[in-house]
Amino acid sequence: MNERQMQRADFITSIVLIAFGVSVLVLSIQMPRLENKNINPYTVPGIVPGFLGAIITLLALILFVRALRQRGFQLGITRQAVSNIVKNEMIIRLFLTLALCLVYALLLVGWLPYIPATLIFVFIFVMIFEYQWGVPLFKQARTVLMGIVEATLVSVIVAVVFEYVFLVKLP
Amino acid sequence: MFEGLRMFMTALGDFMSLRVIFDVLWSTQLGIIVGMLPGLTATMGVALMTTLTFQLPTNNAVLILMCMYIGAIYGGSRSAILLNIPGTPANAATAVDGHPIARQGRAGSAIGIATTGSFLGSIIGMFMLALFTPIIGNFALRFQSYEFFWLAIFGIVISGNLTAPKDPLKGWIAGFLGLFVAMIGMEGIHAYVRFAFGSVELSAGIDLIPAMVGAFGFAEILMIMKYPVVEVIDTKIDHVIPRPMEILRYWKSIIRSGVVGTFIGAVPGVGEDIAAWVSYDLAKRSSKNPEMFGKGSTEGLLAAETGNNSAVAGAMIPVLSLAIPGSAPAAVLLAAMFIHGVRPGPLIMIEAPQFVFHVVAMVFMATIAMFVLGLSLVKFIVKILQVPRSKLMPIIFVLCVIGAYAIHSRIFEIGVMVAFGIIGYLMREMDYPVAPMILGIILGDILDKNLRRALVVGDGNILPFFARPISLVLFLFVLFTLVSRTRWFRSAMGRIGSGIRSLFGRKRNGES
Repeated sequence: MNERQMQRADFITSIVLIAFGVSVLVLSIQMPRLENKNINPYTVPGIVPGFLGAIITLLALILFVRALRQRGFQLGITRQAVSNIVKNEMIIRLFLTLALCLVYALLLVGWLPYIPATLIFVFIFVMIFEYQWGVPLFKQARTVLMGIVEATLVSVIVAVVFEYVFLVKLP
Repeated sequence: MFEGLRMFMTALGDFMSLRVIFDVLWSTQLGIIVGMLPGLTATMGVALMTTLTFQLPTNNAVLILMCMYIGAIYGGSRSAILLNIPGTPANAATAVDGHPIARQGRAGSAIGIATTGSFLGSIIGMFMLALFTPIIGNFALRFQSYEFFWLAIFGIVISGNLTAPKDPLKGWIAGFLGLFVAMIGMEGIHAYVRFAFGSVELSAGIDLIPAMVGAFGFAEILMIMKYPVVEVIDTKIDHVIPRPMEILRYWKSIIRSGVVGTFIGAVPGVGEDIAAWVSYDLAKRSSKNPEMFGKGSTEGLLAAETGNNSAVAGAMIPVLSLAIPGSAPAAVLLAAMFIHGVRPGPLIMIEAPQFVFHVVAMVFMATIAMFVLGLSLVKFIVKILQVPRSKLMPIIFVLCVIGAYAIHSRIFEIGVMVAFGIIGYLMREMDYPVAPMILGIILGDILDKNLRRALVVGDGNILPFFARPISLVLFLFVLFTLVSRTRWFRSAMGRIGSGIRSLFGRKRNGES
């Protein structure tokens, strides 16, 4: 991120953090005081989160004022800027990785048995980043084969080690 | 003193079995490999290893984690030297002089110097660990709730300050967010469930290990995969074992870096990376050849590596004596100790003094293993750097998922890992340091209980927070850390400084 982008990001995060800090503060004030249990009023559950909410709000306000001074509110969202982001190779790689990992961690594990879920994930991950579209398959047979071997080894070894050595019931 | 030595020897004796020595060797070697691979950090290695060792007996598990920690911090020097990419953040200063030496065709010597520096740093750190843990532990017995409250705040403030030197505000925000994360779930005095919004899973709180595996593992995977592949350079390795005179010439620099590194390691939440930079900077300032720094100075390389490895032992001092981690990997070690039923903190010298010396013995064994393994098998191990990231990262993610799941066998923890991975990634992109947040998750409980306890004891009176001597000192530290980063304070200090200088200048002129 360059300095200009950072100032914009600071502007947005400071608003998010202020909203967060204020909500923590409000929720803490609303927490029960447990008077019916006759507890010491200095030990009410909301006191420390309330204190933290107030500090987070204060720090975020400082960040907000600083971003305002640096003109971070000029977000510069134009059609050109958005299309540049969408075409940026690094952003594409990032979102591909993120999507693959999220699908594996939050959907495949638990839905499929552990070994096939892991096998599919590792194989597709390696293929997406190593397979070259446009080059005929037979020229890349080695890449595909290595992908299958790696995926099989990883899923079986991890499953066996956790199931039988660490005695963890796999998801 | 002799009591300590006796306990150290007993502890060392306890570890003298073939099984333990085998564990030390493989875990240190694995640590070196983890540290060496850019993107696999010491924190991630120790966090993943915690999930793999939680079924072992306490001492064996902590020993393996310690070996992983020491091995990884040292291992990062390999890629710093060979590729100019620090394997872990702790080795950034190593790259400054290590890589130029390698480019002069002396990659082997650079690895040898780095290994010796790490070894000596670790040994200096180990002595200070053995010396200071009992002293600080005994001193901390005088701490009451007021002091623990300030200690928690001080930890967050100093960690935020030092891990985000450019923008401490972001460090502090990260720290207080971490403290908030610790508020989620059932609180420790009235068992009231906070911020769970009806979720049974959340009411148990956020566990540190999945959060760390996410923030240091998954976030790092995203960071690495984002960048297109870098070229791997196949450097020739010459002789590795350094000449003793080459090292001994710089004995002053080594001792200074070791002592400074240990102290910085011991500051809560401030880890090996800062220790390496400070040691490097001090070595440069006091060197006879400062112009060589950055161009392949042996002294610079030694200072950086001595500094970061001594910080490992340094980071264990507050873990054992105060239950406050000195660095991010030490935070995982602290969590691992809790999982294994060890309770570090001021009482440890009364309840389990032997454990402290077991840890000292662990540092000793890991250091010896690191030195031996670091000087052997170099050519073979360096080949691992050639494994492409697209093959390595899915394996790491598979381990992150199963590691997060394994400790409690809960699918929910996988979600926590993923959430903290995304948060950790965003934080990195926006220059928020992750270490203060992790420190916050640990300190949150201490802060929560002690603030409320202190208010009850004083019946709402806040005066003792500022009137008790140790409290006052801690409060002044916090205040100074916060104020010292404001612009007006710096300009005022600058003015005072120049005033004093001009005063002395005039005197000197007058005398002459």
